[in-house]
Amino acid sequence: MKTTEAIPTIAEGRKPAAGGPAATGSRWSTLLGFRNISAIYIFVLLFAIFAIVTPRTFLTPGTWLVLLDAQSITVLAAIAVLIPLVTGVFNLAIGAEVGFAVILVAVLQTKLQLPYEIAIPLAMAVGGLIGLISGLIITKGKIDSFIATLGMSSILLAGLSFLSENRQIIGLQEGFRQFATGGLPLSLDNPNFKITNPVFIMLFVAFVVWYVLERTPVGRRMYAAGYNADGARLSGVNVSRLQVASLMAGGVIAALAGVLLASRINAGDPTVGPGLLLPALTAVFLGSTQFKGGRFNIWGTVISVYVLAVGIKGLQLLGAQNWVSDLFNGVALLAAVGLSRWEGSSQRGSAIRRALPFGKKKEPSAR
Amino acid sequence: MTIESPPRREATSPGSPLVTIEGIVKDFPGNRALDDVSLSVHSGEVVAVVGHNGSGKSTLVKILAGVYTSDGGTVELSGDDGQQTGLHIIHQDLGLASELNGIENLGIVKYHGASAFAPFKRKQEREHAIELISRFGDPFDVEVPIGTLAPAQRSIIAIARALDGWEHPRNVLILDEPTEALHASEVRVLFDAVKKLAAEGAGVIFISHRLDEVLEIADRVIILRDGRKVADELSSTLDHDKLVSYVTGVPIGVAEVGSSRRPRGEVALQVEGLVGGALDGIDLTLYAGEVVGVAGVLGSGREALPACLFGATPATATAFTLDGKRYENRAPRESIRRGMAFVPGDRAKFGSVRPLTARENVTLPELKSLTTRFGALNLTEERAVTADLIDRYGVKPPRAEQVFSQFSGGNQQKLVFAKWLRNRPTVILLEEPTQGVDIGAKQALYDAIDEAASTGAAVLVCSSEAKELVRVCDRVLVLRNGRISAEFSGDQLTETRLVMEGYGFANEGEL
Repeated sequence: MKTTEAIPTIAEGRKPAAGGPAATGSRWSTLLGFRNISAIYIFVLLFAIFAIVTPRTFLTPGTWLVLLDAQSITVLAAIAVLIPLVTGVFNLAIGAEVGFAVILVAVLQTKLQLPYEIAIPLAMAVGGLIGLISGLIITKGKIDSFIATLGMSSILLAGLSFLSENRQIIGLQEGFRQFATGGLPLSLDNPNFKITNPVFIMLFVAFVVWYVLERTPVGRRMYAAGYNADGARLSGVNVSRLQVASLMAGGVIAALAGVLLASRINAGDPTVGPGLLLPALTAVFLGSTQFKGGRFNIWGTVISVYVLAVGIKGLQLLGAQNWVSDLFNGVALLAAVGLSRWEGSSQRGSAIRRALPFGKKKEPSAR
Repeated sequence: MTIESPPRREATSPGSPLVTIEGIVKDFPGNRALDDVSLSVHSGEVVAVVGHNGSGKSTLVKILAGVYTSDGGTVELSGDDGQQTGLHIIHQDLGLASELNGIENLGIVKYHGASAFAPFKRKQEREHAIELISRFGDPFDVEVPIGTLAPAQRSIIAIARALDGWEHPRNVLILDEPTEALHASEVRVLFDAVKKLAAEGAGVIFISHRLDEVLEIADRVIILRDGRKVADELSSTLDHDKLVSYVTGVPIGVAEVGSSRRPRGEVALQVEGLVGGALDGIDLTLYAGEVVGVAGVLGSGREALPACLFGATPATATAFTLDGKRYENRAPRESIRRGMAFVPGDRAKFGSVRPLTARENVTLPELKSLTTRFGALNLTEERAVTADLIDRYGVKPPRAEQVFSQFSGGNQQKLVFAKWLRNRPTVILLEEPTQGVDIGAKQALYDAIDEAASTGAAVLVCSSEAKELVRVCDRVLVLRNGRISAEFSGDQLTETRLVMEGYGFANEGEL
């Protein structure tokens, strides 16, 4: 053949792959590099700043236990966003789903007089049902998940208003309150000094989700479906079914977060759920820049929730107004997406860039 | 279209050069797409650039369009008089908005609305539009969405739009596979338009792989093969045989030797009346242990066949048996379970999940054997399986944890092969198995095909490269218009025959 003599065959693999760990020696520096665990460095930085500026309040164990407890529900909401997002589906209804469960579990107990042992699983089942409906709209109805869940969110908010009549529902059962406020006491003198149930529940859920995503065939297929639905389908992955199932799982976890929220505030408050969307979404995106180089992942998400919360807490202790949390989350969301752009040079590609329907980078194609 | 006497235009006395390309070189990782290609286009001249897929045609267009920058050589866009030449490129998809009407697509509004918010002036706009398109023959309705027009009329809109921007006399129009979507009668309309343009003094570069059209329209033909210019001749000195021999690189009249046939086993796959995609009734039987090729030009159904068999594209068949069992409601998942494998032509889009690692990619179709009793993946086992595959197919660098997209094209394809051959499928469907792959990897892939067949798999290779089919296949089916038009094997299986049959002038070209 003529070609062989003319075309200099480029030795395969001569070029070291960009971004990949070049040798085992540098593995630790990659693992501990800023790119890999930037959230932890930011955490340390925030901690140092606030510890110096407001040591009296910031460094008390009470502050930290409250933070741990309060944010465990945000973590659950973030996990409920994360699971569908791994399969390539946005769930913008997460705040409404949590809010709906808050009201539903309260209404079931008060208006319908159901014991809370029944009301809780019932509310979670309804959460799963909402996920199922969203999933069918997206996969069978072929409506983009952005739009479908936005519509779903609005519908749920209407249902929430209808059930609650825009009032707090009070008079929940006594045992129900224990669900979120009980826990493992750390001190015999002070009964409020404890690690609460939601923290354990959150850790348990996170562990199970981690196991499924990272250690099972289902998780592997979920990532494949999210990264390349067509390619995954040709490899025998049932993409639609995974997407529906992930929305259902997310719906159940969102409802669980709602139940815990209702139990903690001891009322069905129609205003508390919707606010969770932004912190949850921000944490999932920020989390995708951690540990796994651009993959949505559970521990990155958990860490990110707390990093964000510490930042907000510190600012509040400094006397900042309530709006600082919205500001902080908004800035962090943009920073997380920006960070992934900056990471764009790493060939692994970022989960955010793929997930967002805009600004997709074109693959350079060889003829 | 008659083949014997194409109505050729006499080569006009060449005007001044409009575009001069000197020694263009373009490298992609692992292969050289263009190697020292030079050409020039003069005023009043239609120059055709022909060649197989991968010959460098599209790379050349992309360099002219500024999509790629060349790695060497020069593109000169002015002639003797020093005036700048305008380049106008019409891509295969025309780049029109099918919901908008002719006037809107022509972009005439910009001339008749004084400012961005001034109201339209319908009458003037329509007259201007009709004036533009009537340069190319009878005018048609410019006020209906162009999606409802005939494909040739859409092409004319695209050309007219390019022309409307010609503010100076020196222009070159580049048509990239413009006849792909056209019927024979519409091709005529388009060709008349192109000839009128050339008569007015413009230069035309006509990219095509339809050889008969090329002889009809072009004054001069430039043939590319493997990134090099192999001929630059006046079309009056060319005929089909010569053209085919230039395109394939096989001299006229030289007997090519087909590969020897492998021993055939049992029937592995039998299909009757397969309809779907571009397919219009295919009867096909694949035997264990043989490699069957499928040739055909783009749109012949060649690229639809494997996906339809695999169940990736909806298709119906009057009968479909796989390994002696009826198989209906075909879907990828079930096909995999029944022992089919499908290597799609588009590696990035369908063949892989690029952000996942090599390990995660190769095991994706079948994870069951790697799952423990408790439903967890046995990662130790998975790593061992992957290391074994990487070793067997010679993937470089041999890193199971490297992200798929970081491998070179050839090694990506080796991984895709590894992924599908891992569980010894009984029917292997390959689409363009060596596209965008360097020569070293090509050999490894051919070896893998050979090995799969020798261990009893039936292999179907759909390829646009006749050379490849002759090399690896026992017999080759040629598709035309969605049907099998011929089958070649043994001594009959030559590159020349495949190309002739694919282009549909086998009778004239008997050697």
